[in-house]
Amino acid sequence: MDTLRIPTELVAPVFNPATFGRRGAVHDIFTRLRRDYPLSVAEVPGYDPHWIVTKYADLREISRRDDIFHGGERSKTLISQAGEALVKKYTGGQSNIWRSLVQLDPPEHGAYRAVVAPSFMPDKIAQMKDSVHAIAKTYVDRLADMAPSCDFAHDIAFMYPLKVVLDLMGVPEADHPRMLRLTQWLFSYADPDLKRPGSDLTNPDEITKTWNIVFNEFKDFYSPIIADRRKAPKPDIASLIANGRIFGNEMEERAMISYFAIVSTAGHDTTAATTATGMWVLAEQPALLARLKADPALIPGFVEETIRWASPVQQFVRSATEDYEIRGRTIRKGDLVYLSYVSANRDEEQFENAFTFDPTRSPNRHIGFGYGAHICLGQHLARLEMRALWEALIPRLQSVELAGEPQLTESEFVCGPKLVPIRFAMQ
Amino acid sequence: MSQAPWKKYLCSTCGTVYDEAEGDADSGIAPGTRFEDLPEDWICPVCGTAKAGFEPYA
Ligand code: HEM
Repeated sequence: MDTLRIPTELVAPVFNPATFGRRGAVHDIFTRLRRDYPLSVAEVPGYDPHWIVTKYADLREISRRDDIFHGGERSKTLISQAGEALVKKYTGGQSNIWRSLVQLDPPEHGAYRAVVAPSFMPDKIAQMKDSVHAIAKTYVDRLADMAPSCDFAHDIAFMYPLKVVLDLMGVPEADHPRMLRLTQWLFSYADPDLKRPGSDLTNPDEITKTWNIVFNEFKDFYSPIIADRRKAPKPDIASLIANGRIFGNEMEERAMISYFAIVSTAGHDTTAATTATGMWVLAEQPALLARLKADPALIPGFVEETIRWASPVQQFVRSATEDYEIRGRTIRKGDLVYLSYVSANRDEEQFENAFTFDPTRSPNRHIGFGYGAHICLGQHLARLEMRALWEALIPRLQSVELAGEPQLTESEFVCGPKLVPIRFAMQ
Repeated sequence: MSQAPWKKYLCSTCGTVYDEAEGDADSGIAPGTRFEDLPEDWICPVCGTAKAGFEPYA
């Protein structure tokens, strides 16, 4: 059997955002790919060929070799040929609308990351413990007020991480809903419920158009904040970015706006998706809730497993800057490589009973936060937020069940539940 | 075994702490292994950063 090329009908749905609204379908495809086409090429009409990386070990190896596999020379996320051509038009020749940390390569990437990295290290995050726990408590109280039913995704999971990260950034609370809207337009550009109003999903250029609009919205929003923090720095992330120096120089403008945008988007949507998934799991598994209530020491393991289970980042793409041998294949210079986090996190070779939710996996070396130099900068914050919420909520949550069918965002990039209707009782 | 107090080292990429007293069970490194005695190809068990990417930690 020729396993170099994946049959188009098998892999094409992975290139379609609507498929991601059905998690089962996504898992079926990647389970088949891991077995029959673990590292093979997808040739889907309208797209350049992509190597599809499905295995945990390969995803780690490629992510670690950021000297060879770059994020900035071609689109960092899946995009059609037409979409990429339009990006070049908008940006004057670059392959990405954004030039955030994820799109930067060595040596620039390290210099940019160092601007805020110390603030996200475990010791600094630990100092935020009391304030994050206090915010978590207000959201748990809010949930209690909504009993006996709510949409946990919209009412709690979307709002709580938004509040934590935007406070840290220094964005006034009145602007938080606007940031949520822009995030959803960006990550859920193709979802019928969350997309930018007026966007045309039948147009293959839509992602590029929307991302360009969102870029300009972030630019308009953050430009006065940048000017303000340059004049009078405050103890917030906005001041660090606004005054950040790269090899002794000012940040390039597109990179600075993108820096603000990544923290204001990736900093909550992923955590929201994971938190909403956690409630979905609890609503389906009353025995798990009972176990966590009886032994709250299991909560950190529960959080870690929700990240593996949710895997909200579906894919990032890298391009090879030289030939590279892996799994008996040769990835050629210039080839595109699609990293499937959702597949790697269910890799049967890495995780025993990969399709079982197990809060006692130890160590749980999931790849939900990525690997290598681009590993999630916010991972310690995300863990703190989620532990704080569940530690405040689980002792008070007497029962929870689904009050309807949860729904996932139709997004092939960042994907999680957009609706988790629950019926619940709280103390 | 050396009498000097155990030291800790921080991964500058992801913030993982290598504690000499604990070693790194994941990578087969026994408790009590000095940082300088870690093999040169040892990498951060969480993010894969090379040994050179670690710095002394309080
Ligand atoms: C459960 C929650 C989260 C998940 C699953 C997640 C996932 C990821 C992944 C997979 C990457 C790697 C990108 C790559 O390889 O190029 C990443 C990078 C990043 N994440 Fe997160 N993330 C989460 C929460 C957060 C939070 C709370 C922040 C807060 C600021 C954040 C900020 C970032 C940034 C700035 C990067 C870029 C790092 C770089 O390229 O150097 N993330 N995240």
